[in-house]
Amino acid sequence: MNAIQIPEVTTSPNVIVSISRLNKSFGAFHVLKDIDLDVGRGEVVVIIGASGSGKSTLIRCVNGLEMYQSGRLTVDGFNMPTEADREIGGEKELARIRKGVGMVFQQFNLFPHMSAIDNVAIAPIRVRGRKPDEAKATALRLLDRVGLRDHAHKLPAQLSGGQQQRVAIARSLAMEPHIMLFDEPTSALDPEMVGEVLDVMRELAREGMTMMIVTHEMGFAREVADRVVYIDHGRILEIGTPAEIFDRPTHERTKTFLSRVLRH
Amino acid sequence: MSTVALRWLHRNLFAKPFDTALSLVVIPVLAWAVYAFAHWILVDAHWEVVGGSLKVLMTGIYPADQLWRAWFSVATLCAMFGAGLGLSVRPGRAALAVAAMVAAAIAGTIAAAVGVSASLLTIASAALGVVAWVAVHHSKCDQRVVLAGLLAGVVAIFVVLSPPGFEVWGGLLLSVVLTIAVSILTLPFGILLALGRQSRIASVRVISTAYIETMRSVPLILVVYWIWIIVPLLSPDTSVPSLLRGMAGYALFFAAYVAEYVRSGLQAVPKGQIEAARSLAMNSWTLNVDIVLPQALRVVVPSLVGQVLDIFNGATLVFIIGLTDFLRAGQMILADPQNSGRTYEIYVFLFAVYLAIGGAITYASRRLEAHLARGSR
Repeated sequence: MNAIQIPEVTTSPNVIVSISRLNKSFGAFHVLKDIDLDVGRGEVVVIIGASGSGKSTLIRCVNGLEMYQSGRLTVDGFNMPTEADREIGGEKELARIRKGVGMVFQQFNLFPHMSAIDNVAIAPIRVRGRKPDEAKATALRLLDRVGLRDHAHKLPAQLSGGQQQRVAIARSLAMEPHIMLFDEPTSALDPEMVGEVLDVMRELAREGMTMMIVTHEMGFAREVADRVVYIDHGRILEIGTPAEIFDRPTHERTKTFLSRVLRH
Repeated sequence: MSTVALRWLHRNLFAKPFDTALSLVVIPVLAWAVYAFAHWILVDAHWEVVGGSLKVLMTGIYPADQLWRAWFSVATLCAMFGAGLGLSVRPGRAALAVAAMVAAAIAGTIAAAVGVSASLLTIASAALGVVAWVAVHHSKCDQRVVLAGLLAGVVAIFVVLSPPGFEVWGGLLLSVVLTIAVSILTLPFGILLALGRQSRIASVRVISTAYIETMRSVPLILVVYWIWIIVPLLSPDTSVPSLLRGMAGYALFFAAYVAEYVRSGLQAVPKGQIEAARSLAMNSWTLNVDIVLPQALRVVVPSLVGQVLDIFNGATLVFIIGLTDFLRAGQMILADPQNSGRTYEIYVFLFAVYLAIGGAITYASRRLEAHLARGSR
């Protein structure tokens, strides 16, 4: 399926996302400042930080939903085009990268006019050229995996928030991604539905899926993360194991942030 | 019972002094007008003129020995209408009873005015429509299959009607077929224009915007007439029938309006939908065809159906390029000195038919709106 992959950057084959000196602004607002971060295959990286610190923007850069101005970002060996590149094209590279990157959104963003199973099957059919029957069989298996086999033929509007988010995860998995991005996947959910989504994510992590997760669920972060990244005002302030970040934070700002989110 | 009625009267007509005064003036005037009109319709009017010229009103100068082609079209239209109903309205007992009553009333009137054979053909067409309605509803078949069937119906009507020549199409049949053909033609063109207006390619964007704004700022009659005179200039060797030139004019004009409706629908699709599709590596084509357009069109279907009414009413302007639509056919009948005293009868008939068809389209638009609102989030 994939064309010959010649990584232009000499990163270790074990690194799937490599970010160096990445800068991104919205107009005059400098959102991400000199970000350096490598994510290894099979690694679970949780990104935390105050709202507006740029953590969502960072993972949205990894599949090209946000454009960056300078620095270098490679995903799966492909160079992510910069904003200047994309003014003159870059669609092909983007599509190639996105085929290997799954994304789960805060607002689920299921296609409201399609049943759950069609939501999961549509991208394999249209993007990977799978036969509809096969794609639907796979979709049903994936829905089963997230515990929604019985809801396969319901429309998103007939599902609860937690169920919708699980369909969204299945939809991303259907593209057989090498890495999954989660942008605050439980923030729009009622508290009693958070658990079912986190369970699915926990299961994915255990199966060795590479994941970049933006979340406010600190207990979950501590449990599944291999590394935790703390972002503050667009800069990575600290990277470390959950124990290092949560128990022995070195920066004063990290301490303040954690004391604020961990208190309740 | 009577207290309820009294209370209703009090609340709605005589609640305040001003209401009372208004009711005292309006109700008698209204009653008198209704009485006078009903008296004229039932006693004074000479409806033979409508019955005698029904063939011209319905088909214009279409050859009398070829009328089976027109009847085929009527039957096909009934079946198409029924199939369309089958998608959105449940054929319950009440709905079927209403349909049967309407069909019986029309057939009875035709039997009295024209003859039994025409009446039987009307009943057969109506029955076909009902069968299509029930069949489509119960087979639960895919909407796309039904839509393809509807398109095939339009093509069949064109194929069957065309042998005597496009010049002889006329009457209500012309108005209806023109409306349907133009409504269908405007859809793909309008969608392309709407997408073009949002294109990332500047030249496409500018051309689409210029086209839409130009068409929206000139009158329909001008565009129709202009296309009619310009086609022979562009292709002097082939003679394109007036009907096709007229259809092109209507389609080019109304496509600009469709484009604006579709654009409002495109804007109503949440940005997250596009991001989700993009994150699944969909290209622009798939993104538009599978994700954005189905949601955008769902929002604008009621407006588009409403526009069918605009096209139907605008179709009265085809007389300027020498075609005989329904309204024009009525005027032609009045041009006959024999019918000179029957102006009111003909115009009241035209009014009633336009009102009935316009009302049906408005009703369909409302139903669709309610039907589509249910499935959305």
